[in-house]
Amino acid sequence: MGNIDLIFKIAGVGLLTAVLSTLLKEYKKDDYAVLATLGGLTVVLFWVVQLLGNLFDQVKSVFKLF
Amino acid sequence: MDILQIVGLGLVVCVLAIILRQQKPPMATLLTMTAGVIIFFIMMPQITGVFNILRDLAGQANISMVYMGTILKIAGIAYIADFGSQICRDAGENALASKIEFAAKIIVLVMAVPIIVAVLQSLIKLVP
Repeated sequence: MGNIDLIFKIAGVGLLTAVLSTLLKEYKKDDYAVLATLGGLTVVLFWVVQLLGNLFDQVKSVFKLF
Repeated sequence: MDILQIVGLGLVVCVLAIILRQQKPPMATLLTMTAGVIIFFIMMPQITGVFNILRDLAGQANISMVYMGTILKIAGIAYIADFGSQICRDAGENALASKIEFAAKIIVLVMAVPIIVAVLQSLIKLVP
């Protein structure tokens, strides 16, 4: 319940990586731009996978699915 | 947490997802996935409350727990399958979404077979 701020963290990281990659593209450093995007994406993926793990545990416990 | 807060949260996430989809489409999908999970967590207490009441009623009406358990399991499978397939459809992967729904239908069918067999057997007993 308390992790509503996770939504804004993800939005923040997403926007930051978008700005960072366009900035890096301006400086003709396209490879770094790709790395920055991948970095941001992995951080967000880490959070989301953790959250999905919690969801699946909760669903298993609520619906007695095992 | 009533419906107003959930709708407010949904609208905020919708706007954020639109912004993100222009810049970084994968991030928007992750954002909508998170919002879906959070809304489910918000509704968790109500769901568990309803299911406990259902179990008590089934206990009093001495319906065997096998049928009630299967019904709850099918509800859970339907919810999770719909959750996954809708997110895949949002991300534009319609083929993947229909594969998930196909698998869910098969699993539900497999779970429903014992009940169908039980009903048929009781029917056969009725016919002289």
